[in-house]
Amino acid sequence: MYFDLHCHSVSSDDSRATVEQYLKWIQVLRKRGYTVDGIVLTEHRKFDFDKDYSQLADDYGVIVLKGSELDTRFGHFLVYNVTQGLANDIDFADVRMDARELMKAAQHHGALAIPAHPGRFGIGLVEFMDKGETFEDVKIVERLNGGGRPGENERADELCDSMGYLGTGASDAHLASHVCTCMTNFGMDICNEEDLVAALLSGEFSPVRLEETSIT
Amino acid sequence: MTNENQTYFEDVELGDEIGPLEKVATDEGVVDFCTLWGNPIPNRFTSDEEAAKAKLPGPIVPGVMSMSLMAQLITDWAGPDGLKDLDVVFRQPVPHNKPLIITGTINDTRQEDGENVVQCDVLMTGTEGERYIIGTALVSLPSRS
Repeated sequence: MYFDLHCHSVSSDDSRATVEQYLKWIQVLRKRGYTVDGIVLTEHRKFDFDKDYSQLADDYGVIVLKGSELDTRFGHFLVYNVTQGLANDIDFADVRMDARELMKAAQHHGALAIPAHPGRFGIGLVEFMDKGETFEDVKIVERLNGGGRPGENERADELCDSMGYLGTGASDAHLASHVCTCMTNFGMDICNEEDLVAALLSGEFSPVRLEETSIT
Repeated sequence: MTNENQTYFEDVELGDEIGPLEKVATDEGVVDFCTLWGNPIPNRFTSDEEAAKAKLPGPIVPGVMSMSLMAQLITDWAGPDGLKDLDVVFRQPVPHNKPLIITGTINDTRQEDGENVVQCDVLMTGTEGERYIIGTALVSLPSRS
């Protein structure tokens, strides 16, 4: 299954795409012969407990899951399978939180936190590791980011190769036509956020560019 | 009667691309813009010193000037009255004297209150993958009938 694990709807302050626009755009991609099964909305510094996209998901035949992208003092982290318990323990709006505490709290609550765009210049995890910081709980990073500048995904490649990390792929879309430019290919079925975490922990996935999903 | 230079609602489809339009905001062009705009010179858009005071790496292109360049992409395509709204996010400072590539992608078409509305993603990028500005434009197009 092909999932875009990182995109932002208008619920994030810097996005201009509604969820429905993403789903309409996925129909365009499907008409062009590409395969997309689902997306994960990872809104900045928040989790939308009150938002239900199940009707839209049914209407367009796309699995729509929810997550978060949190700012930490060691860069941005994507969090999957956010629970109320995790939100009670972690202040999602705290941009100076320690990513190591976030990862431990996520694990405690059945969620998973992974570094987003670790090769990003200035704010990616690589910058902090180069300064001597260590992150023993990191096993998976976002290796392929659709919003990366030249050189950033290459830095993530080097990180994965040198540390033995597994890598996901995602678009980091903030506009409708950018969704699913990069995705993660999973070897198992995913219907909800718990399945997603199980699939990530299984290690059976790989990052892909949209072009690699073509069925023609 | 139809005009062969006019883009009509019936002619557009989701996924159609608009542009690219390539522009360069020169030092002189920015000074001219600021003068016309009434922004006293020197300022952070025209002077290295003023830019440094604002902790910028150098003089930048004013946001409204960048938006006007992006608007040109749409008005060149849809006609001078076509642009209804342009909503942008500034992601990186826009530099002087470098190629600015402006593109659009149609992501929605609909009729609202009898009006033919087209929504486009719009993007201003650099030649080395820099994403300076992203946004959306709402465009009104005439019908052939």
